[in-house]
Amino acid sequence: MRCLAPLVDDHPMKVSMDEETKLAVFEQTIVPHLNAAYNLAAWLTRNKDDAEDVVQEAYLRAFRFFGGFHGGDGKAWLLAIVRNTCQTWLHREKGNRSVVMFDEQMHSPELAKANPEGMLLKKFDVASLRECLEGLPVDYREVVILRELEEMSYQEIADVVKIPLGTVMSRLSRARQRLADCVAARVNGGLV
Amino acid sequence: MRCASSRHLLELHLDGELSASESAEIQEHVENCVSCGGLYQRLERLQTDIRTQVIRHRAPAQLQQSIQAALRKAAASEPPAPRIHWNWMAVAASVLLFASMAWNVAFLRSRDSARDVVAREVLSSHLRSLMGTHLLDVPSSDQHTVKPWFNGKLNFSPDVRDFASQGFRLVGGRVEYISDRPVAALVYQRRQHIINLFTWPSLSSSQSGYSEMQRNGYNLVSWTEHGITCWAVSDLQTGELEQFAQLYK
Repeated sequence: MRCLAPLVDDHPMKVSMDEETKLAVFEQTIVPHLNAAYNLAAWLTRNKDDAEDVVQEAYLRAFRFFGGFHGGDGKAWLLAIVRNTCQTWLHREKGNRSVVMFDEQMHSPELAKANPEGMLLKKFDVASLRECLEGLPVDYREVVILRELEEMSYQEIADVVKIPLGTVMSRLSRARQRLADCVAARVNGGLV
Repeated sequence: MRCASSRHLLELHLDGELSASESAEIQEHVENCVSCGGLYQRLERLQTDIRTQVIRHRAPAQLQQSIQAALRKAAASEPPAPRIHWNWMAVAASVLLFASMAWNVAFLRSRDSARDVVAREVLSSHLRSLMGTHLLDVPSSDQHTVKPWFNGKLNFSPDVRDFASQGFRLVGGRVEYISDRPVAALVYQRRQHIINLFTWPSLSSSQSGYSEMQRNGYNLVSWTEHGITCWAVSDLQTGELEQFAQLYK
């Protein structure tokens, strides 16, 4: 009877037992990572309203694919979906909006070299750091957010972004270099 | 350690990706090498700055509420998972639809005997039931659930028995219209094959023996005994359908 019973549900709108269990497990394992999901979406979309839309969509997708989640790290599993949803969103928005691109000239390594302090951020400017992070290309931005704000390991980042471990390492390294150069250039520019 | 290649090692150390012994080695180098020490300090500073100065966006309270509402809605409208077991029926249904249409056209060409009319209705009903929308009104393998379900829906009480031990499992029943009257349709399953058994009180008092026919690859058997007419239809082989008929008779 297991197979035939669902064909004739007396109450099609009623949450069936299986779905109720699924929802309960989902609420325990995935919903608690809402802040991490929103943080990642906000940093990737750089827009709070869009982040809310992306997160809501990502949660519905996650629920739909929850059958594919076999325990383990719910946060990494969810963030991978949030990231994919963001990618779709960014792709869609590409034509509509001018995405702030990293300014190679402004953040060139020569500038950092010219400044003897280089990456040493003595007069640290919070706004500069935030703006520099926002200005990073999204591939770099996401590894920094996952590593520094979500404090994920290289392996977890590799799982979320779906790239090899070595690529996580090199991307993170380049992102840090760019970030340091960008901030240094701003501090240097401000002093001159 | 060559300092030129140390940057990645320093970052691995910073990110806690090295083993304890590797980390100890790097730490020792950092303390003794001015250039690496300076670089490590800057990396550490940058990390600390990001972690302490950069905003962690917090989800607005109403977002959690709207997500939870949307999830509940999705859970309610999502079809139960076991349904996937019936995908084969959807595939079969499209094949059957063509079979049924072709068969109907063929039938219109000739004038049918009363018996053929019934056979056609029985087979049509069987085919419709396999199309996945309306196989069962009362899904139950318990004959004591299925039989009383027909109370008030028919002007007779059908004979409902389960033959699971003989390989013909009762899966439920529904009401059908055959020859302009409501009849009981009992549904049995043998392996992946569905048998529809239609039964109703015979209008005439005549007894008719057991007979078999084939229509479009389906086997139909019928008999009338003790004032009750029965038709069984399935894609089972004739022998197996006959075995079922003998059990029910």
